[in-house]
Amino acid sequence: MTDLALCAVDLTKRYGRLTALDTLNLDVPAGEVFGFLGPNGAGKSTTIRLFLGLARPTAGRAEVFGIGAADVGHAHRQLAYVPADVALWPNLTGAEILHLQARTGPGIDVAYRDDLVERFALDPSKPARTYSTGNRQKVALIAAFATRARLLVLDEPTSGLDPLMEREFRTAVRHARDRGQTVFLSSHQLAEVEAVCDRVGILRAGRLAEVSTIGELRALHRSEVTISYTGAAPDLSSIPGVEAVQPAGDRRLRFTLAGEPGPALRALAAAEVAALTVREPSLEEIFLDYYGTEEVR
Amino acid sequence: MSVGALAAAPQTELLPDPAPGRAVTWLAIRQIRRGGLIVAGLGGGMTALVVATYAQVMADPAAAGGLQALAGNPAIRTLFGAPVGLDTAGGFTVWRVGTVMAVLLGVWSILAVTRITRGEEDAGRWDLLLSGRPAMRTVLIRHMAAVMTVAAATGAAIAAALLAAGTEPAGALLHGAGTGLLGMFFVAVAGSTAQIFPARPAATGSAVAVLAVGLLARMIGDGVAALGWLHWLSPFGLLALSGPYVHNRFLPLVLLAAVTGLITVAALVAAGRRDVQGGLIPAAAGRPPRTRLLASVETFAIRRTLRPLTGWMLGVGAYYLLIGLTAVSITDFLNDNPALAGEAAQAGFDGLGSIAGFAATLFAILALPAGGFTAVRMSAFTGAETDRRLTLLASQPVTRLRLIAAETAVTAAAAAVLVTGAGLLTWAGVTAAGGEFGVAAALRGVWNVLPIVLLSLGAAVFGVGWAPRWTGLIGSLPGVGGFLLLVLAESVAAPGWVHDVSPFAHLAPVPLTGPDPAASAAMLAAAVVLAVAGVGGYRRRDLRS
Repeated sequence: MTDLALCAVDLTKRYGRLTALDTLNLDVPAGEVFGFLGPNGAGKSTTIRLFLGLARPTAGRAEVFGIGAADVGHAHRQLAYVPADVALWPNLTGAEILHLQARTGPGIDVAYRDDLVERFALDPSKPARTYSTGNRQKVALIAAFATRARLLVLDEPTSGLDPLMEREFRTAVRHARDRGQTVFLSSHQLAEVEAVCDRVGILRAGRLAEVSTIGELRALHRSEVTISYTGAAPDLSSIPGVEAVQPAGDRRLRFTLAGEPGPALRALAAAEVAALTVREPSLEEIFLDYYGTEEVR
Repeated sequence: MSVGALAAAPQTELLPDPAPGRAVTWLAIRQIRRGGLIVAGLGGGMTALVVATYAQVMADPAAAGGLQALAGNPAIRTLFGAPVGLDTAGGFTVWRVGTVMAVLLGVWSILAVTRITRGEEDAGRWDLLLSGRPAMRTVLIRHMAAVMTVAAATGAAIAAALLAAGTEPAGALLHGAGTGLLGMFFVAVAGSTAQIFPARPAATGSAVAVLAVGLLARMIGDGVAALGWLHWLSPFGLLALSGPYVHNRFLPLVLLAAVTGLITVAALVAAGRRDVQGGLIPAAAGRPPRTRLLASVETFAIRRTLRPLTGWMLGVGAYYLLIGLTAVSITDFLNDNPALAGEAAQAGFDGLGSIAGFAATLFAILALPAGGFTAVRMSAFTGAETDRRLTLLASQPVTRLRLIAAETAVTAAAAAVLVTGAGLLTWAGVTAAGGEFGVAAALRGVWNVLPIVLLSLGAAVFGVGWAPRWTGLIGSLPGVGGFLLLVLAESVAAPGWVHDVSPFAHLAPVPLTGPDPAASAAMLAAAVVLAVAGVGGYRRRDLRS
């Protein structure tokens, strides 16, 4: 066995004339928490379906711990999966689905599962048809986190969770990492990715645009700062990380800030700042900012 | 500070579509148009073919006499409906295909309504639809109206076929209207059960149960003179009471129309009083886990099959129990009238004078429900894949081969249970009625249809692998398709090879005679080839989700 949890070599998937995934080459080492970012329709779920053998590649290959993705009998002993849009058997209760997943899966830690049911505040006695989107997601998350699989593949797992549950999710990811499990996390939520991931890959229009550590991603992460001041207008033109300085009304200034805020704050000290607001840009803005508005296929 | 006058809003039209309901109607039509065309086409086509054969059948005095003789027998009345007016082409057609078409239209209407109403609601798609301007009642009535239109079109096609053949207009219109109304009745029933139960299987099952009880009530009313009033309680009975080409009575149809209207109104009232994704009967609030049969893919397949199997067993079992109970009366009748038995043999009802012969003819059609069962189960399997319920299981260390093999094996076993149950109930019915019929003979008879049932299953597995959207249809081809082909081929005197394509042409009348091992082996071989090809396709293709 190799020490690569996931490995894609020239992985390509076409649906007729549509190229959903274009020659993806990606390695995810064992033990890493890997964030997989990209706008809607970028091919994230397609990539995951190829890694899981749910879809067959048009060209190239996908491997899970060195096992071909098509050999699901062996490959799936190494992984647990949470789909983006969880559908459950409507007649089974949460507990029954967890039981079924446990008995057909790669083996679970029952005590930890019960602990997760508590922490995610899931009522497992209800039939699945009565569950909300978030509750369905919880069932799949609990089933996946409770396994002892070496790899967790999570496809937008928190889209239906409230902030409290999202915190529990992050804790569970950290526990998984501490146990040595690899986590492959596809997400739209930059804050979540920043909080838990070691490295991120950014997919755009079926191609891998960027693979970088979270530190490099933070460099991309530009905040918009607005100040009002009572002193002299500050000169920010030579401050590293400050860009797009523009007046925002009477004795008000707006600029973007990337990286360490220290130099900018020192430059602002002389201007006697009366108010300061910092707005973090959305992931969408960063994408548009960094990659421009190139044609999405 | 001055308040300036705002410039007039630019005249860009942001008017809402004046008829949002029309979009809902189109949505409903899009979901049923293919099946609707097939049903209406079948209705018109089968009627036209059979009415055209009338002259041919009646030209043969032996055939005509045999039919007439059998028509008076209580058991035949029970099974095929009261054969009134066999002396006209129209009356003959009504007897020959009227009940079959009515059942087909009724079942299709139920499945279509629960699929596009409760099914769509279950899947969460109505949340979006109902967040728009159309209210629940508008959406429901437009969906029901779309299916009712198909029922009306089927009725119109039947009437047109009868009119085109030159039969008496009153009878043609009455039969067409009756069949169409019956379809509408089951649209209303399914629309109501979809409001009562918060899940599609329960809604479909209870509506089908209404159909089965209605059919049984008509059968009992036909067979037992003292219980003739049961006709008034059954939509099929009302259809029979209207007596196209014989009595031409409109009152029963007026009653059927009124009841249909009432049930439709009840469905609409119920729809306005319930939550979206809820039903009048609330979903169970919670229960302790029942983990039996949840230990593996194979046992889970068994667990998912048990409930549908019970439903099918009840319906099919009731029918074959009734056959058993009436078998003695028909054989006695024919034995008391040797001349009639001879005529019956000439008319194609060979060996009806013995219980074994009678049972053999009726065991042959057991392949229809049993084959249909396998097609429906495999279709449910692709349904679970399409709506992603299967995804969590498919991401477990379970090969595709194991997934489909488990489903196929369990379905085959369940179909075997279904036919065995039918055989045992026939035997029990005959025995209870004081007849002589060995349990071994009954079992040999029902097991004889297993090759056709397995051929249906093989075709359905082939569908799962290569054309998952068409699984149900492909799986129905050997059973229902083969039977219809045989009926039509015989009715229109088609060339022998057309006849021979149907598996039913190769089915030996067991227990009257021994089985035909060569034919059975050929069917089983075809089933295996189809299943292996289907499994191959399933392993290679992408899962649809």
